[in-house]
Amino acid sequence: MKHEVLVIGRGGQGILLFGRVLGVAAAKYAQLHVSATESYGSETRGTESRVDMIISDKLEEIDYIKVRKATIFLVMYPFNLEKYMDMISDNACIFLNATYIEDFPEKPDWKIHRAPYTEIAEKETGTIRTANIVALGHVVGKTGIVKPEHVIDAIREIVPSKWLELNIKAFNVGLNLP
Amino acid sequence: MKRVYTHGNRAIAEAALVAGLKFYAGYPITPTSDIMEYLAEKLPEYGGVMMQFEDELASINAIVGASWAGAKAMTATSGPGFSLMAEGLGLAVITETPIVIAYVMRAGPSTGVPTKSTQADIYQARFVSHGDYIIPVLAPWSVQEAFDLTIKAFNIAEYLRTPVILLSDATLAHLWESAVFRDRGEVEIIDRKKPKVPPEKYKPYEPEEDGIAPMAVFGEGYKVLVESLTHDERGFYIQDTMVQRRMVQRIVGKIIKNIDRVFEYETHYMDNARHAIVSYGTSARSSLAVVRDLREKGIDIGMVRLKTIWPIDEGSLRKTLSGVEKIFVVENNMGKLVWDIQRIMHDKEVIPVSIIDLDLPSPNEILEVINEWL
Repeated sequence: MKHEVLVIGRGGQGILLFGRVLGVAAAKYAQLHVSATESYGSETRGTESRVDMIISDKLEEIDYIKVRKATIFLVMYPFNLEKYMDMISDNACIFLNATYIEDFPEKPDWKIHRAPYTEIAEKETGTIRTANIVALGHVVGKTGIVKPEHVIDAIREIVPSKWLELNIKAFNVGLNLP
Repeated sequence: MKRVYTHGNRAIAEAALVAGLKFYAGYPITPTSDIMEYLAEKLPEYGGVMMQFEDELASINAIVGASWAGAKAMTATSGPGFSLMAEGLGLAVITETPIVIAYVMRAGPSTGVPTKSTQADIYQARFVSHGDYIIPVLAPWSVQEAFDLTIKAFNIAEYLRTPVILLSDATLAHLWESAVFRDRGEVEIIDRKKPKVPPEKYKPYEPEEDGIAPMAVFGEGYKVLVESLTHDERGFYIQDTMVQRRMVQRIVGKIIKNIDRVFEYETHYMDNARHAIVSYGTSARSSLAVVRDLREKGIDIGMVRLKTIWPIDEGSLRKTLSGVEKIFVVENNMGKLVWDIQRIMHDKEVIPVSIIDLDLPSPNEILEVINEWL
């Protein structure tokens, strides 16, 4: 089992927290091997944020630290989307934040999931700030990359107590998205 | 033992605590500062002291002093800071002082790109200070190895009474990975050799049979001269060729004599390999992907990854590479380790794959070069 997870979005959308939570869930709780890099602009928000994460049950399967062919691709905001098209594997699971993305090319073996994560977050948790964790729930629910309880453990470990219950709620909402 | 998900800088800091670090002195510099920040919080809990000094010159001199007071001591810096440590590093070399310097490479020359990576400083790490000497330089390729090799760096420093460089880069500094961090009692921790003779018979630079002089600690009754001038075994300045030779031979000889303790490398897919990549540090991560890509296409290629990039055990490297036709040296700089490999493997075709990339050379960039030669 080897996943190459690519997450892109806009600074302020919690792309890095998405990566930290998934990374801790996979590495510490699911006992998988994980390698991840983060990139972001120096601005507080508004520029492109990106997480590349390799997850495998075999250590020796992890070599290059960046995604070469994404098996899981989450787009929270369509920044330079065309640049990523060659980086998506033929049978990738693709998740699109429908709040910001309408058009996306189709390929026969791509499984494309769409949900308006930002709107859902605002409606269900009263803030758009949990959109990243709604999306994480959707990704985990559809791909089974890690068990939901491992993500809950990771959220409890990382997220400040003030935001904890809201994020767990957001995660569960995402898990149950169609 | 604990399972963690963390980054390279944190791994270095955690390993230093396990190794027994008691004194850290430093001056903040990107991309290294989180080592110091973490130790500022944690080191006091381990009975140690973290001090921010006015600059790198003071920092390295402070750790040399702390080491003579018996503390395991380290600093961390990047290229511009290491340049300022050149003089102090020489003092550590000639006084045979165990210290560890975590050196996180960024892009240069000068202030370059502070937040971005290269492997351009491998010669600066070896030879920044003047005079004849060899100091070990270890280059981790993963978060796990940043932890493991930091402990090894302390062990070598203590065992051989020498400065040791742990050479990371900006990519590894902020690479997040799963790893297993072992605790004291679960890893071998080496402490320096102390004198067995009474104070009146002790000479601070007189080696025993293994080439290493026991090191007395200030305040335990032994007279120690910490002399930066050429000195004899007592530490007295003597302007004499034979004394100079003896001293240099001791400083260099103890490292070479114990090369098995210092030099470490690993091989991937080298059984009956027709060609080989030689790489180190984060570039080796891309290189391993390249090896797998080429093997899928039926090309018998393997990889030799140096964990110790200085000094190199030339005999064992020659043996490992003796059966291959072409050797590709992959590194993120203008081509530096390749000079060593071309010298050591002078009867082989050694091809530089020197790719300057502020992040990390990608497998595709490396493949483009290698494919031209296959």
